[in-house]
Amino acid sequence: MKPAWIALYWVVTSLISHHRRHLLQTLFLLVGLVTGVGLWSAVQVINAHAQASYAEADQLLGAQASDWIRPLSDQAVSLQDYIDLRRQGFRQVFPVLERRLTTADNEPVWLIATDLLSLPTSDTETQTAATGAWLGLVTPPYQTWLPEGLAEQLGLNEGDQLALADGRVLPPAALQTQTQQGQRLFMDIGTAITVLDAAGFSYLAVSSLSPDERERLQAALPEHLQLIRNQQRLDLTELTQSLHSHLNAMSLLSFAVGLFIVFNAVRFSLNQRRETLVTLREMGVGVGTLTLAIGIETLVWSLVGASVGLSLGYALGLFLLPSVAATLQNLYGAVVDSQLLLQPSAWLLAWLITLGGLLLALAWPLWQQVRMPILAARSSGEHWLADATARHRLLLTSVILFGLALLIYPNLKQLWQGFAILALLLFGAAFALPSLLAGVLKALVRATPDSAWLWRWALADGLAQLPALRTAMMALLLALTANLGVETLVGSFRTALESWLDQRLAADLYIQNDRLDLSHLTAAPTPAWLAASHQRNGLTLRWQQRPTQIRGLDTGAPDALSLPMANSSGLERWYQGEPDVLIANEQVQHLAGVKLNDWVTLPSPAGPTEWQVVGFYHDYGNPYFQFYLPYQSVVQHWPNAAPQGLALWLSDTDESLVQAEQALIEAGAQPGDWFEQASIVDVSLRIFDRTFAITAAMNALTLLVAGIALLASLFAIHDQRLPSYAHWRSLGLHYREWLLIIATPLVVATSLTWLASLPLGAVLAWILIQDLNVLSFGWTMPLQWGLTPAFRLAGLTALVVLSTVLISLVRLHWQMPLALRKLGGNDA
Amino acid sequence: MLQLTAIHKAFQQPDGAVPVLQGANLNLNAGASAALLGESGSGKSTLLHLIAGLDRPDSGDILFQGRSTRAFGEAEWTAFRRRDLSLVFQQYHLIPTLSVMDNVRLQARLNAQLDRELEAHLLNRLGLTALTERLPHQLSGGQQQRVAIARALLHRPALVLADEPTGNLDEHSSKAVMRLFTELVKETGCSLLMVTHSPTMAAFLDHRWYLHNGQLMAGTE
Amino acid sequence: MNIRLIGVALLFAALEASAQDVYQVLRASGDGFEQVTPGRALSFPEDHLAHPEFRIEWWYLTANLTDDQGRDYGMHWTLFRQSLRPDGATEGWSSNQVWMAHASITTPEGHVFEERFARGGIGQAGVSNQNEPFNAWLDDWQWQAEGLEPLPATVDFSIGEQALNLRLDASTPWVLQGDRGYSQKSAAGQASYYYSQPHIQVEADYTNDQGDVIVLSGVGWMDREWSSQPLAPDQLGWDWFSLHLDDGHALMVYRLRREDGNHDLSGSWVTPEGTSTSLGADQIGIQAAAPVSLQLGNARGVTLPLTWRIALPEKSLSWEVEAIYPNQWLDTQFPYWEGPVRVSGSTGGIGYMELTGYE
Repeated sequence: MKPAWIALYWVVTSLISHHRRHLLQTLFLLVGLVTGVGLWSAVQVINAHAQASYAEADQLLGAQASDWIRPLSDQAVSLQDYIDLRRQGFRQVFPVLERRLTTADNEPVWLIATDLLSLPTSDTETQTAATGAWLGLVTPPYQTWLPEGLAEQLGLNEGDQLALADGRVLPPAALQTQTQQGQRLFMDIGTAITVLDAAGFSYLAVSSLSPDERERLQAALPEHLQLIRNQQRLDLTELTQSLHSHLNAMSLLSFAVGLFIVFNAVRFSLNQRRETLVTLREMGVGVGTLTLAIGIETLVWSLVGASVGLSLGYALGLFLLPSVAATLQNLYGAVVDSQLLLQPSAWLLAWLITLGGLLLALAWPLWQQVRMPILAARSSGEHWLADATARHRLLLTSVILFGLALLIYPNLKQLWQGFAILALLLFGAAFALPSLLAGVLKALVRATPDSAWLWRWALADGLAQLPALRTAMMALLLALTANLGVETLVGSFRTALESWLDQRLAADLYIQNDRLDLSHLTAAPTPAWLAASHQRNGLTLRWQQRPTQIRGLDTGAPDALSLPMANSSGLERWYQGEPDVLIANEQVQHLAGVKLNDWVTLPSPAGPTEWQVVGFYHDYGNPYFQFYLPYQSVVQHWPNAAPQGLALWLSDTDESLVQAEQALIEAGAQPGDWFEQASIVDVSLRIFDRTFAITAAMNALTLLVAGIALLASLFAIHDQRLPSYAHWRSLGLHYREWLLIIATPLVVATSLTWLASLPLGAVLAWILIQDLNVLSFGWTMPLQWGLTPAFRLAGLTALVVLSTVLISLVRLHWQMPLALRKLGGNDA
Repeated sequence: MLQLTAIHKAFQQPDGAVPVLQGANLNLNAGASAALLGESGSGKSTLLHLIAGLDRPDSGDILFQGRSTRAFGEAEWTAFRRRDLSLVFQQYHLIPTLSVMDNVRLQARLNAQLDRELEAHLLNRLGLTALTERLPHQLSGGQQQRVAIARALLHRPALVLADEPTGNLDEHSSKAVMRLFTELVKETGCSLLMVTHSPTMAAFLDHRWYLHNGQLMAGTE
Repeated sequence: MNIRLIGVALLFAALEASAQDVYQVLRASGDGFEQVTPGRALSFPEDHLAHPEFRIEWWYLTANLTDDQGRDYGMHWTLFRQSLRPDGATEGWSSNQVWMAHASITTPEGHVFEERFARGGIGQAGVSNQNEPFNAWLDDWQWQAEGLEPLPATVDFSIGEQALNLRLDASTPWVLQGDRGYSQKSAAGQASYYYSQPHIQVEADYTNDQGDVIVLSGVGWMDREWSSQPLAPDQLGWDWFSLHLDDGHALMVYRLRREDGNHDLSGSWVTPEGTSTSLGADQIGIQAAAPVSLQLGNARGVTLPLTWRIALPEKSLSWEVEAIYPNQWLDTQFPYWEGPVRVSGSTGGIGYMELTGYE
C-alpha cells in the first residue's frame, strides 16, 4: 500500500473514532438522517407505487382491459347482452360490477366483482393460484374478499359479515385478494348481483383487441352499447399529478426537518472534532487528505442513512399506503394495490438525496473547519457570543429568501413555482427565527427588574442556550407552520365542502336507481307528499383531453335555483334556457383556462356545438370538467344522454317520508335505491376525511421529527453545560430553581416559535388555498382561519417540550453526581 | 468549627478500589484559614468535595459547628452549601450571561440577604466598582476571579472552600488576588480552607495541612 | 370406458383445489349426488341431455380426418359438466354447474388446443333442454343437432385463427357400454353410465391460419358418460385406444395403471352394424414399446410410449398402433397426450389414443 493510502486510513480512523466516543451525538445524527430519509422515501415509495399502479390501469383484476363496453346511458349492461357477445366468440369480454357501498356505520366502501372463470388471463399462473380459492367465492355461504388493511379499517375478522346501511348483509369476509383489487371488496359477480339485487353489470371490460376484432366487436354491439377505449392510464397520470406533487413537497419538508437534526448533531460534535482536525493538521495532514477523509465519512453515513432510512421509509410507506390509496380512490377512482414494491431507482434516489443532505449538513461544516487557519481554529472563544454572527448571517439569508419569494409570486403560473415560494417563505421564516428569539430574550432581560433577578438569570441563560436551541426551534417552526397551514387548508376545505353539500344536496331524497320509472310520481298531478322533484340527465364525453361530464338540469328546480356559484355574469340567460348558454364547474375556469363569456366547443353526435359560458360553480372533489345545461338542450344535442338520478323534495308533513318510501316501493324500488340527504352528506364528509388522512399522518410525523430535533438539542445543551449546572448546584441552587432557569428560556423560545407560526401558517394556508389549490385541482374556497388548530398544536408542542425536558431532566439527574465530583477539576 | 474525624474514601477503578483518604483528621477554628497542601492526586480536591457535600465519605464524620453531617440528606446539603458555604474554583465559574453585579449578588440573593454595605465594600476593595455592568467575558482572568471572590463572600458564609483559586493566573496577579482574598475573608469573619500545591500561596494562610498517604498532618511553618 | 371420466374429474379437480388434494376431491364419496346403479335403462333422447343430479358428465368427440391428398388430420372436442354441490340449484347466478370445454386440431402442419371454462346457469355454456333440438355449447364453441338426437349435427369451433366446422351423421345405433350402459370400473362399486357412437361419418371444412379452407372427411367417435364418484384410490393413469378398423369393426381398449404395478384391462368390440361385445381383462393384450421423449418447450419434456401392440388372443387378432404425429401433448390444466393413431397388423385402420399420468 502506498503511504498516502496508509495516511488516509489513519486520518479516517481518527475522524470516525469520534462517533465511538460520542455515541449520543452519533445516535442523533443517525436519527435525524433516518427519520428525514424515512419520511421522504416513504412518500417516494408510495408515489412510485401509485404511478406504477396507473401504468397498470389498462389492467383490471389481473386481466387486460384495453376497452370498455358501456351503455350509452349510464345504466347497467344486461346479462343477455353479455352472453350474446360471448356466444359470438368475443371471449375478450368479461363482466364487471363496481359499486360504492355504505356500511351500517356509514363508512363508504368500494366493491368490484367479476366472474373469475370468464377472466381472459393469459397468465395461467394467476389463474391457477386464484382457482384454489375460487370455490369459496361461488359456494354458499359465498365470500367477500378483502385486503387486510381494509378488514382492519372496517373491523372485520375472517368470517364476519359486513352489514350495509340499507340493511343488506354481505357474505362472510375472507382475507384474500384478487390481483389489482386495491382497497376494495371483491366478490363473485353472481353473488354480488344477487346480494345487491343489481340490474346487471356496470360495464363489460374488453381485454385486448386487434384492429380487426375491434371492428367486428363494434359491428356486433347492439345500439344501446358503446365501445370505449380505456384511457385511464393517461387520465390517472395527469389527474393525480398535483396530489403527488403535494405529497412530494410534504416529504421534502420532513426531510429538511430531519436534516436540521443532523446539522444540529454535527454542530455540536464540531467542538470536539475541531480539536481532532486541528491536531491532525498540526501533525502535517494536508487539507486535501482531510477533505478526502471527510468525504469518505460522508459517504459512509450516506450509505448507512439511506439504507436504514429507506427501510424505515418502506415500513412507513406500508403504514401510509392505505390512506394514500383511499385518497386516490376517493378523488380519482384510481386503484392502488396493497402490495408495496421497492424499486432500485428508489434506492438510488434515496441515497443521492441523503448524500446531498449530508454534504450540506455534515461535510460542509467540517470542511469549513479544515479550511480555517490553524491558529484561528484553536481559539474557540465564547460560543454563545460567536453565535450572534451566525444569527446575523441567517437573518441576511432570510431576507434574501423572502425577497426571492416576493419576486416569484407575481409570476406564479405553475405548481412547482408555488411550492418554491412556500419553501422560500418557510425557510426564510426559519432563518429569521434565531434573531427574533435573541432579540426578544435580550429585551426581556433588560425589562426584568432587579427584584426578579432569578427570572433575569433564567432569561439571560436563554442566550447561552440559543446556539444549541436555534436549530431545533427552526425545525419546530417549520413543522408548526406546515401543520397549521395544511390544517387550515383542510379545515377551510371541509367547511366549504359542507356548505357546498348543503346547497348541492338540497333535496330530501335521492333516487339512485335509474331503471325505475317514476315519471308517474313526478308528473302532474303530483302526490301530496311531493313538493318538488328534479330529474337530471347526462353523459360523459372527452373535452380538452379529459373526461368531461355533461349534465342536464331543470333550471326551475329548487336546487338549480340556488347553485353554488363562484363567478357568473348573465346567469339569467341560462335560467331562461337560452339555447347556446351553459355554466361550467370551476375546474373549467382554472384548469382549462376558460374565462367568463368565452365560447367552448363540445362534441355531439351531430358534430361540434358552440356554447357560451355564463357562470362557474363550485364542484369540489370532482377531478373532471363538468357543464350544466338546461335539460332540454342535453336531450336535443345528445339523444343518448341517460337519467342521472332523481331528487325529490318532500312536503312539510310528518308522514311525507313514510308516504314517499311507500310510493317508491310500489314503483318497484328496493331499499337502497334511495338515499336520504343527510346520509349522503355524512358519507361525503367521511370520504373527505379519509381523503385527507394522509395529510394528517404526514403532519403528525413532521411534528414528531421536530420533537426529536428538540430532544437532540436539549441533550446537546445539557451535555455541554453540565459543568455549569454542577457549579450551580455547588452554589446551593435547588433543583426547582435550576429547572426554572433552564426551562424558562425553552418555554419562551417555544412560545415565540409557536406565535411566529401563527401568521406564517396563515400565509402558508392562504397561498395553498388561493394559489396552489387552484393550480392543482381548480377549486377555490374561502380561507377559514380558526385558532382551534393553533391551540391544539400549542398543546401538542407543550407536550413535546414537557416530555423532552423530563427526559433530559432524568438524564441530568443521573449525570449530576459525576459532574459534581469533577467540579474544579481541570477537565471541567 | 470544622472537624473531620477518621475520613476514609476510596474510588472504584477498573483495576480495583483505590484508597484516597485513610483516616484523615482535621480541625479548623472559626475565622481561621488553612491551606491544604499535597502532591497531585493525593486527594486534596476529594477532601474539599467531601466537606462541600458534593461527594460522600465511605466512613468517618464531618462536623460543622459541632453538628454531624452524617445524617444530612440532599436537601440539608443544598441548604448548607447555599447558606454556610462558598466555593471558589480555578475556573471562576461565573454565569456568562449575567452582568458582574448580578454574578456578585447571586449567592446572596439565593439567601435573600443582600448586604449593600458589604457589597460596596467588596466591590471597592476588589476594584470592581466600575465594572459592574460588564459581562464576564469582557473581564481579564484576574478580574473574573475577583468577581468570584466577591460572590463567595457577600453572603458571609461560615466557610469558604477554595480549590487552586489562582491556578489560572500569573504569579504577580496571583499574589495580588491572594492578598485581597485572605484579607477580605478575615474582614468578613469567614473561615477558609484552600487547596493548593503552591507553598507561596499557602504562606498567606494561618495554617498548613499536608495530605500524604491519605492522612493529614499539620504543618508547623 | 371410465377413463375419460377420471380425466374430467381431474380437470375439474385442478380447477377447484390445489394439487395435493386433487385426488381427495375425486375420492369424495359423492354423498348427496345421485349414485350410478345397475339396471337403470337408458332412455333417449332424454339421456343425451345434462344430468345435473350427478357430479360429472361429458360429451366427447374425436375424429380421424384426411384431405383430398390423403394427409392425416385429427380433432377432439369435449364439453365437461360438473356439479359443485348436490343442492339442485342449476339455474341463475347461484347455479352449482361449472362447464369446461376442451378441443384440439391436429394437422400435418401442427397441433393446436384450447380449454375454456364457464359458470352454468347464465347461458354462457350448457346443453339444451328437453324438447329442443340438441345443443351443447360454451361461448361460441358448439354442437348443434338437427333434431332431438345429437346426430346428425354440426360442430363448430375455433382455436386461435384456425377453425373447424364439422358435419356429423351416423346410421348405426348407440353402443351401450358395459352392462346395457352400466359401466362398472372398480370392485368397490365405482361405476358410470356410458354409451358411445363409434361409427360417425364426418365431413369438415378446416380453415387454417392463412384463411384457406380445406375440405376434410373421415370417421368420428362420440362418448357420453356421467357419474358421481369417478376415481378408485390407487389409479395412476391410463392408456386408452379407440380404433376404426378397415373392415368396419371398431375396437376400444384401455389399460388402467395401478399403484401396485397391476393393470386393469377392459374394452369393447363393435361390429360394423353396431353390435358390441364387452371385453374382459383376460381377453385383451396391451404392450407398450420403448418410451420416447417429447420436448414441450420451456425446457420441459415428457417421456411416454407412442407405439403399442394390442391383441385380442381369443379372436387371434393383433395390431400395432402407432401415433401419426408424436407431438400431441395437451399442455392444459390437466396435461395429457391425445392424438390420432395408425393401425397395422391383422387389419389396417386409424383411431385415437389417450395417454395420461406420464411425466
